Amino acid sequence: MKIVVAIKQVPERDAQIRIAADGKWIDESDLSYTINEPDAYALEEALRLKEKNGAGEVIVVCAGPERVQSTLREALAKGADRAIHIEADDLAALDTLGVAQVLADAIRGESPDLILTGLQSDDLGLGQTGVVLAELLGIPHATIIMQVEVAGAGLKVKRELEDGWFQHVEMPLPALLTIQSGGNKLRYATLMGIKKAKTKELKTVPAAASSSTPTITLERVYLPEKQKKTEMLTGSPDEVAAKIVDKLKFEVRVI
Amino acid sequence: MVAGVLRVAVEARQITGTSPSPDISAPGIPAILAEPAHFSRPESALLVLCVLLSAGLFFWRFGPILRRILRSKKDADFSLSPIGPRAWEFFWEVLCQAKVIRQRPLPGLAHAFVFWGFLAFALVSLNHMATGLGLGFLPPESLVGRFYFLFAAAWALLVAVSIAGLFFRRFFARPIWLGSKVSYESGFIAFLIFMLMVTYLGAFFVPGDSDAVKALWWMHTLALLVFLPLIPHTKHLHLVLSPVTVFLKRDGFSKIPPLAGDEDFGLVAGKDLTQLISLQAYSCVECGRCTEHCPAATTGKVLNPKEIALGVRSYLNEFGPTSDVALLTEARIPSPDNPPAKYLSMEAAFECTTCGSCEFQCPVGVQHVPLIVGLRRGATNTGAWEDSYGTKLFLALEKNGNALGLSAMERDKFIQKQQFPVFDGTQEYCLWLGCMGGYDPKGREIIADFARVMQYLGTTFGVLKKEKCTGDPARRLGNDLVFQTLAEHGLKAFETAKVQKIVAICPHCVRTIANDWREFGIAPEIEHHSEFMARHKDRLPKQSGESIVYHDPCYLGRYQDVYEEPRAVIAQAGTLVEAPRSHERSFCCGAGGGLTFLGEEKGDRVSYVRAKELVSTGAQVVGTACPFCNTMFRDALTAVSETPPQLLDIAQLTARAIPASQKEAAGGVE
Repeated sequence: MKIVVAIKQVPERDAQIRIAADGKWIDESDLSYTINEPDAYALEEALRLKEKNGAGEVIVVCAGPERVQSTLREALAKGADRAIHIEADDLAALDTLGVAQVLADAIRGESPDLILTGLQSDDLGLGQTGVVLAELLGIPHATIIMQVEVAGAGLKVKRELEDGWFQHVEMPLPALLTIQSGGNKLRYATLMGIKKAKTKELKTVPAAASSSTPTITLERVYLPEKQKKTEMLTGSPDEVAAKIVDKLKFEVRVI
Repeated sequence: MVAGVLRVAVEARQITGTSPSPDISAPGIPAILAEPAHFSRPESALLVLCVLLSAGLFFWRFGPILRRILRSKKDADFSLSPIGPRAWEFFWEVLCQAKVIRQRPLPGLAHAFVFWGFLAFALVSLNHMATGLGLGFLPPESLVGRFYFLFAAAWALLVAVSIAGLFFRRFFARPIWLGSKVSYESGFIAFLIFMLMVTYLGAFFVPGDSDAVKALWWMHTLALLVFLPLIPHTKHLHLVLSPVTVFLKRDGFSKIPPLAGDEDFGLVAGKDLTQLISLQAYSCVECGRCTEHCPAATTGKVLNPKEIALGVRSYLNEFGPTSDVALLTEARIPSPDNPPAKYLSMEAAFECTTCGSCEFQCPVGVQHVPLIVGLRRGATNTGAWEDSYGTKLFLALEKNGNALGLSAMERDKFIQKQQFPVFDGTQEYCLWLGCMGGYDPKGREIIADFARVMQYLGTTFGVLKKEKCTGDPARRLGNDLVFQTLAEHGLKAFETAKVQKIVAICPHCVRTIANDWREFGIAPEIEHHSEFMARHKDRLPKQSGESIVYHDPCYLGRYQDVYEEPRAVIAQAGTLVEAPRSHERSFCCGAGGGLTFLGEEKGDRVSYVRAKELVSTGAQVVGTACPFCNTMFRDALTAVSETPPQLLDIAQLTARAIPASQKEAAGGVE
């Protein structure tokens, strides 16, 4: 099975984010980057599928400036066979359709059996790139996938729904799945992996010129405003408990 | 002692009334060894045949072992020089039998007598064989002969008594460390040694040219010639190998060798075993000292360090030193090329706390810790080790740069709150926080208190703006990728900040920075806070009254030979009490080797066992010098005692006596 994993590089979790001078995006200088977390699970799923089948190829694709190569190298170290770096310096200027087009152009030539992506990105969190990509390639897709099993010529997948419900779907190949975090345990990069990665192919391709003008643009990016709204509940334990229940029921509305 | 034995020998002769030789005139040296006067040609020929047969059998069995050792991979970092310390170790540990005696006095002394006896017998045996060919060079009647044979007789008595004692210990007292299986070979060899001595001593009591002399002579010869071919396939191989092993062992305690080349990931298969490892595996004498002191083996884990050494030996016997068969399996995907391991288990390899007791105790120069860490490297560097806690730790080290997996911002906040100055080159010391000091609540208290002590002493210090883990847990768990990344990061951070001197509260940090980082560069001089405080002990406030039991951390004691400094600090803070096992025999807290970050342990908790010992001293306070020991005992002391003693680091013990005004001036916590 030939599997393509589309990954995105995002700022590290505990990076101190500053807003760029123009207020349209974050200041990228002095930031450290890492793989988008759900994409890490997509990669893990791809590697496990390959290991389970005993054969196949895992190709990682990432669009972005030169720095994304470090994330691709890490993916190669974890066991991907090849990497494609789509050179795109101003990814933030594109909308979802534009990004999906860039990815689709690079992936189409590979004609993979399966495409995996994370269900959303840690930075923008739009959750659409995978779906639009499937649409552009004309293949079926399923989102928020917890489990993947090969069943005959197709797949059996488990989707996460709301309220603790799951949906089991059978689907043909080729297909695209967007993977939920936490379904598998991630592996760590090993020394052997890093050394092997040095000899693996990392192809750089230019991003295809976008055919459409972005329909969505970012107006303003800002940090969440801090506000302190701590309320101390007083009284006897019974009274406090009653007040908490009251608040959970009518203010937070979770019970 | 020798004189006493001589008297016994003489009296024994007088009681039996036999005269070994007509010539007893020399005063002071009455007894003379009886030797057969004549050997016929067929007799000599028989002797030659027997010797050839015995030696042939010996080499037939020893040859393959020697080849396996020599064909093992070369140790990339091995260097004979400096030869001085090697010679000293050889003299002290082999010739003086210092470790053998010191760590197990009674059987140790018995062993030493047998060993020294063997040395004394070298000349006797040579002459004995030569006599059979009519080439004897040490006539028993000569002055030298008389003296030397009596000297050897004294040793023979000591050896006979000692070996009988050791035989009794092995077969009747049966200490559990020798294993549950009774070794009949050992019994037979003990019998042979006893026979050698008896037949030698007997020759003092029989007339010169009698049949009895001949019979004794042949019995002695046969015992010797039967013994020789038994050596290679029993633990008695240590007779031949261990002097070499002790002389050649890696310089430095628990020294983990660098990986050599792009294909070296640690000990993956037989072809990765180095000559030193193979030599050490064949040298193991199965005495079980390593097992006796192992915190894993004594608390019901799978790991038994002796079985690790013997497992390597069995592997070499079956697969050889160039094999591709995995040393440990349980790999991600078992395959025909990757059959299940027969001798070494991954589970055992990852139960080691790297406390180093085994390596410290080993009298024949087996270095267990590099071996176990080597096996872990082979498993971790190739991804064969799958452990959710381990993976979580490695990902935390990769991402957050600390073992606790907290955001690096937490450290920034802590520094700010404590108003720790950032190191800018004007201060004397760089205070290294470490993961515990920077992120763990109790570790932070220790660091804050130590900072207060430094301020009280008027020593200037600063902390690094950003600091990542030294890589210690990754190093001990065999993740060279994470370790190297962190070590290189740390070296660069010190260089950029132009640090000259570092002080740290964590022995693991100190050891890793000072020794393990050397593979990638030389770090600035670093010391443990116990060393710093001990140097200034006269200026530290003197407290009295409370009894404080000190727990030696493995990474401070055995790893760095620092025993007296923390005791000096404690003596200033109260009355020092010693634990039942202390100094180099201290028992691990269970945290080392990255184990504190892995899952729940099997069997008894190591920390509980140690906590019980510490509580049993009745001391009011448990004094620690390592934040990891401290964190282990925090739970353990309350679990094993209704009224647990207080638990304080030596920095806290010192800081509590600093007057409050100075505490404020020092900008201490709260």
